[in-house]
Amino acid sequence: MRLSSARLATLFVVLFAAGISLLLTAVYFLTARVLDREVDAVIRAEADSLIDDYMRGGLIQLVSTLHRRSDNWGRTGAVYLLTEPNGYPIAGNLAGWPREVMTYGDWVEFHIDASDAGGVTKHPVRAQTFRLPGGRRLLVGTDILERRRLASRLRTAMFWGVGSSVALAALIGVGYSRRVRKRVAVIADTCRRIMNGDLAERLPVEASHDEFDELAIAVNQMLSRIHQQTEVLQTTFDSAAHDLRAPLYRARVRIEESLQHEDLNPASRETMEATLAELDRVQRTLGTLLQIAQADGRGRDVVTEDVDLAALAREMVELYQPEAGTREIDLEYAGVERAMLRGNRQLLAQAIVNLLENALKYVAPGGRVALEVAQSAEGVRLVVADNGPGIPVEDRQRILQPFVRLERDRNQVGSGLGLSLVAAVMRLHDGTIELEGNSPGLRVICEFPV
Amino acid sequence: MHLLLIEDDLQAAEYLAKGLRENGYDIDCSADGRDGLEKALKGRYDVIIADRQLPYVDGLKIIAALREKEDPTPVLILSALGTVDDRVAGLRAGGDDYLTKPFAFSELLARIEALRRRASISSETTTRLKVGDLEVDLLARRAYRGGRAIELTTKEFQLLEYLMRRPGQVATRTMLLENVWNLHFDPQTNIIDVHMSRLRNAIDKGYPKPLIHTVRGAGYVLKE
Repeated sequence: MRLSSARLATLFVVLFAAGISLLLTAVYFLTARVLDREVDAVIRAEADSLIDDYMRGGLIQLVSTLHRRSDNWGRTGAVYLLTEPNGYPIAGNLAGWPREVMTYGDWVEFHIDASDAGGVTKHPVRAQTFRLPGGRRLLVGTDILERRRLASRLRTAMFWGVGSSVALAALIGVGYSRRVRKRVAVIADTCRRIMNGDLAERLPVEASHDEFDELAIAVNQMLSRIHQQTEVLQTTFDSAAHDLRAPLYRARVRIEESLQHEDLNPASRETMEATLAELDRVQRTLGTLLQIAQADGRGRDVVTEDVDLAALAREMVELYQPEAGTREIDLEYAGVERAMLRGNRQLLAQAIVNLLENALKYVAPGGRVALEVAQSAEGVRLVVADNGPGIPVEDRQRILQPFVRLERDRNQVGSGLGLSLVAAVMRLHDGTIELEGNSPGLRVICEFPV
Repeated sequence: MHLLLIEDDLQAAEYLAKGLRENGYDIDCSADGRDGLEKALKGRYDVIIADRQLPYVDGLKIIAALREKEDPTPVLILSALGTVDDRVAGLRAGGDDYLTKPFAFSELLARIEALRRRASISSETTTRLKVGDLEVDLLARRAYRGGRAIELTTKEFQLLEYLMRRPGQVATRTMLLENVWNLHFDPQTNIIDVHMSRLRNAIDKGYPKPLIHTVRGAGYVLKE
């Protein structure tokens, strides 16, 4: 995304610069040509009239016209020279036939030394040379210093024009690209926050009514709809959970009360105790569901602290080692000494406990379970690896959802909520959970990014 | 022994009160937060049992009001909010203990007893605890039975210390998980029993008079 807007802006600047340069270069060349033509036309017209003078009035007429014109500079920057066939000057305002000019009847350009107010300077001259009948030579030209200066000024102006236009275009391009990037970043950030559970968040809509606003409005409408639906779901779930708890609580208290009667017959006592155990199971499932819902939804406000996941993992391994021992399963911790992360200690402990209990439940006696915590630049990683029956590849995603159980575990005790709670805890910590084969067995990989 | 029960679920309150009376407690009942707080401030109770969600004034606010008046009466919060965070929040708000509904009556009894006797529990500054011929040196973190040193792991020692500080009092499995392991949730498997049997092996094996006793349907107690 970042690339795309910057690329677009760069392309815009390059095209704009090329366009402006082309246009101004064309203007420059056209102007220069018009100026040159004008000079040439004036020279040609004057030369025609001078040659006409010579033809009609002979040398005397031409010399007098030249004198008149040279004296008062008939036009600005006019240059004349009439010489004998051997090059000896007869009239005009040039001291001698310029050395550079060897041909006759052509357009020539050369430099003369002209004295102005500031002293002697070199001036460029454009001229046409003629061989008059009788062998005399005539040069009619124009001092084109001013015109050259004009062209040079035009070039400078154009250079600055192109430069500032390109700079402006680049500025606009960068601004545009920044604005696009900023708006996209705002949208992406908001989306991320929404994904993290704050469904009340909305994308900002500016007054400009541009295409981003159109997108934002559409996304916001979608969010409102989702929010409304989740709220209905959440409220229904919350009140269902709460309303179920009260009767469960009363039922439990009542059964316990009845169990206190000494005169109860053993069969009834057994039934009631079994009922109590079932109630506890329902209660536990309900509690876990609430916990998952909390971790996924409103739970964004859970208390977090600095937790040493390595220490917590070691503690949990120690807690379960005796239990693993009675099942003849080798349970070990392997990993770093310390791995700090920000999280909720209780929920993290619960996640580790669920993973350990799962592993211990499915691994056969003589098997092993290893808990590992590693720390890298990317974050902290917790792995629970066992050599039990594993989970088929096609079920590895599905099994993370609530109440999903494998067909082969149908008769095993369990709610089908253990792994989904772990997944919810991982989501709450912005982490990921992945199930892999351990040939044989299962590796559950939980990663907490920095 | 005088208790105050603040609970708006009248049916449940009735059963609880009945059960507690049968266990020798004197009980006052209150059905809402306002009345409950009034009673709590006026009367002298050994333990107050308050539901967290109550009409008018909720359980956590009752604790706050009591603590503001520098009333140290221990408060046990009962709650239908069962997530880990709710429990921790309840304890952080100044509740002395937190029990999620529904709970076993024996759990409630054990916790009331623990709160009632909390004042008499050997203070943190004690360095030696003694029950019968079992002795614990808290500084050296060593245990002796009849003068003979007993090998214990760190956790086993902590478990023993918790029981030794409350001789004759029932400690439920949940209480041990909360206080020794700092885990405020119930694992699926009963892991405490294995730890207790290991501790028992270390403490009682080979001695004619066992000190650790199982209380059926409740937990464990350490006594002579």
